[in-house]
Amino acid sequence: MKSPRIAKEQFLLVQLIVVMAIVGSFAAGSIETRQVLLSEAGGPRFAPVVNVPRETPLVIEPLYDDPEVVSDAELAAVLAKIQPRFPLKKLKPNYVEHALRTWWLHAKFADPKVMSGEALKEFLTDHGRYLASWGDEFAPLLQDESGGVSIRWGKEEGASVHHDHWLACLTEAGVRLHEPVFTPNSRTHDINDVLQESLRDFKLDETEVEWSAMAFGLWIAPQKTWTTRQGRTLSFDQLADRLMRGHKRFGVCSGTHRLYSLIVLMRLDDDHDILSDETRERVMDHMRSVRDLIAVCQFEDGHWASNWSEGADSLAKPIEDELYKQVIATGHHLEWMAIAPQELHVSREQILKAADWVIKTTTEQTDSDIATRYTFFSHVGNALALWRKTHPADFWMKWQAEHPEEAKPVEAPKADAVKADVAPEAKDVAPESK
Amino acid sequence: MIGTVIEEPMAEAVSEEPPFRGPDISKLQDHTPAAVRAPRVLAGLVFAVGIIYLVFCMRPLWHTDVWGHLAYGRLICEGKSLPATEPVMPLATGIAFVDTAWLSQVIGYLTMQTIGIAGLQGLFALASATCVALLAARTYQRTRNGWFSLLAMVGFLAVAAESLSIIRPQVAGIACFVMLLFRLTSPRLHRSDWVLIPVLFGLWANLHGSFLTGLFLLGSVAAGRAIDVGLRTGSWQAIIRDHRLRRNFLLLELAAAAVLVNPYGIGAYGAALQIAANPNLSDLTEWHPQVLREVTGILFGAVIVALAVLYRWTPRRVRAWEVISLVVLGWSTFNSSRMIVWWAPVAALLLAVHGHASWRRWRRLPLIPEAPARAGKWTVVAVGLIWIFFAYSPLGIRVIHGKSPKLERSVSSDTPLAAAKYLREKPPVGQVFNTFEWGDYLQWAGPAGMKIFVNSHAHLVPREVWQAYMQISDLQSGWEEAIDRYGINTIVIDREHREPLIKKLKEIDKWKLDFEQDGQVVFIRKKPI
Repeated sequence: MKSPRIAKEQFLLVQLIVVMAIVGSFAAGSIETRQVLLSEAGGPRFAPVVNVPRETPLVIEPLYDDPEVVSDAELAAVLAKIQPRFPLKKLKPNYVEHALRTWWLHAKFADPKVMSGEALKEFLTDHGRYLASWGDEFAPLLQDESGGVSIRWGKEEGASVHHDHWLACLTEAGVRLHEPVFTPNSRTHDINDVLQESLRDFKLDETEVEWSAMAFGLWIAPQKTWTTRQGRTLSFDQLADRLMRGHKRFGVCSGTHRLYSLIVLMRLDDDHDILSDETRERVMDHMRSVRDLIAVCQFEDGHWASNWSEGADSLAKPIEDELYKQVIATGHHLEWMAIAPQELHVSREQILKAADWVIKTTTEQTDSDIATRYTFFSHVGNALALWRKTHPADFWMKWQAEHPEEAKPVEAPKADAVKADVAPEAKDVAPESK
Repeated sequence: MIGTVIEEPMAEAVSEEPPFRGPDISKLQDHTPAAVRAPRVLAGLVFAVGIIYLVFCMRPLWHTDVWGHLAYGRLICEGKSLPATEPVMPLATGIAFVDTAWLSQVIGYLTMQTIGIAGLQGLFALASATCVALLAARTYQRTRNGWFSLLAMVGFLAVAAESLSIIRPQVAGIACFVMLLFRLTSPRLHRSDWVLIPVLFGLWANLHGSFLTGLFLLGSVAAGRAIDVGLRTGSWQAIIRDHRLRRNFLLLELAAAAVLVNPYGIGAYGAALQIAANPNLSDLTEWHPQVLREVTGILFGAVIVALAVLYRWTPRRVRAWEVISLVVLGWSTFNSSRMIVWWAPVAALLLAVHGHASWRRWRRLPLIPEAPARAGKWTVVAVGLIWIFFAYSPLGIRVIHGKSPKLERSVSSDTPLAAAKYLREKPPVGQVFNTFEWGDYLQWAGPAGMKIFVNSHAHLVPREVWQAYMQISDLQSGWEEAIDRYGINTIVIDREHREPLIKKLKEIDKWKLDFEQDGQVVFIRKKPI
């Protein structure tokens, strides 16, 4: 059958209608829609960019200056133990991160064998420094991505152990947003590139979100939401709910890091309103329940066990807890209480007992013991400093200046002692990281 | 003597006319307008379609998708807006939600509210009946044979039976696809196509996300035309100048533009393209490759073989679009059994048309038989049949007599009616873990704000959450920890497929079996997280 002719004008009219419709619809679509379509068509991968409103991250200031919890001398004794005195060969990123988080960027030490804050930062942000320590037989810590920089993390040697721990520690240490980050293939990246990659790569339901939550809050507040590469819109409300989800025993370090992150979000909410009222109330209720649990399960000597989440049962049916796990639990609980409102504290007597126990336990450790468990004891040092409304670096540098004899260098631990602790740390991480 | 001669009455004269047997129908004149007269076969086909309509009307509402879609429809109607992110699964909060079936959901919800379940069943039956009626109509138009028209209907239903058995917005998509196929296979070109086809796509893009299959069909018709002209003329210029090809191409463009008339604009394309790539769907059987061992697979294979034979024998010209659409849609079905429902109408139509042609060839008859006689009475019979089937359907009974079917009789036996009732009376605290297939019904009929774990919108569930669901459901390593990790305080599962999980939970002290009825089991945590 002969088909009717289509006039040239009709043909062109249809082209015009169709082109206008498609172009108009594309232009009217959201940025995410456009980027999704472009990536479906083989274009660049969807890479949302979050606006970061500051050059240096927010700081959660401690609330209490209580010499009864820890005196100057006690604090100095503990901090002396946790100076970052690491062997430079196969230097563990996790150690450096914990040290930097505790000591901050401006820390300087009289002992030349102790890494300064700047040296710690450079190890983490300069692939060359990492390469000098680990050689090229190990994968780099810093990895170039199409839109940013990612950090290799996990249980492998030479990796940062926890997701976004690298970013969180540098953030808490006060690193600048545009601090250069030198990757294996580029010298033009900065901290912002790592932050953006973390934001877009973040998955709410991954096993560890504690450090991501902190880092994001300290950088992007008062912005409450952002969009990930998968197109999911996330908020601090969701992060808070995620931190509260499930049994309290879950989460790194016997679930205590989640508590610290929750308090950080709550403190940020005080100034920047990043949580809804309902979520804020849920966080408070959650922390009150934590307070009530630890109030009834503190041991006579002042420590909390790693199964503190069982409440009174952990006291009634104690488990065989290795010392470092008790240090983890006790040190972390002191740490979050130092920045939390008083309503969430256990009794003063219990705080004093806990502090006494960690001070005694820490100062009794040999240097090689500390070196083996550095990350856990670093939290003790930070917690005690917070209870004096100060920071380890500020206190220590002042103490060094005033007590040069007491702050004199001590012998560094042997490299073997540091190498030996892979198994316990991995064991601590394993249940939460699988 | 004078006598009266009683004369015997004279015998009646013997008539030579035949005995009266009623009025002579042949002398009746058909005064119905010629345009509305129908052949006898119409009544037969209407009868067949009517039976199909009744059968589909009686189908129970499946326990999965439809309830979730009704719940979304309820949300849209109550909020008077479309949610931008997943609104009912708390573990999927923030996931971008492009609801390409929003119109189906709203229609379904409003139907449920005004007419009830009978209305939903009626809508579903109407959509299915429309599909078979259109296939039959087109086949009859091509063959003038009622039996082969019936073959097209039966072939479509048999191959697509499994997919058609579930009431969900996809049925609207299938109806749109068959309507498009009907228009594209018309022997005459209609000016109205310039309006009808774009309007169809405009509606389709709001009814269901399957509009891409329609664009594919349009594209294959256009590409097929180009190939046919090219093969016939061997000239590129002839292809470019072919007006029918230009027509098909323009229709494709207009259809593609019409799809943009939806709340998400061009975003509907992104959503439709992305969904099939979601890794969660690989765990759902309907997204698995078609297996030839199953009944559907056997029928699929049989139709392929029949088509292959018929294409060798048929005296009808084989158009390139037929081959393109059969091969591409067939290949898609091998990759994902869900695609069979799009392959089925094309295959059924072509099977019947070429089957008829081959049969006529074998009988040494002309390809197209003479047009049958038409009469107004058959039109009346057809209309009467339509009315009868409607009147006796649940929808008809509801509309005419106001009687609604009972819920228990109108839903599949796997619907967790008892569990939902129990949970309404005793609302769960915190996170619930539920059988995937029940998530939709629990969302619809469970207590407000119930935190279901997953529903049938698996593509909206975060990957880690989906993996946790599979881990718990299949008792994979770490399943117990996963339950604690998600803070699950209530578990609502079916005994039929989750017996091992039920057995394990009974062995664990911290769980208590709180309810069981009709294979619906609810466990609660003794000390809620």
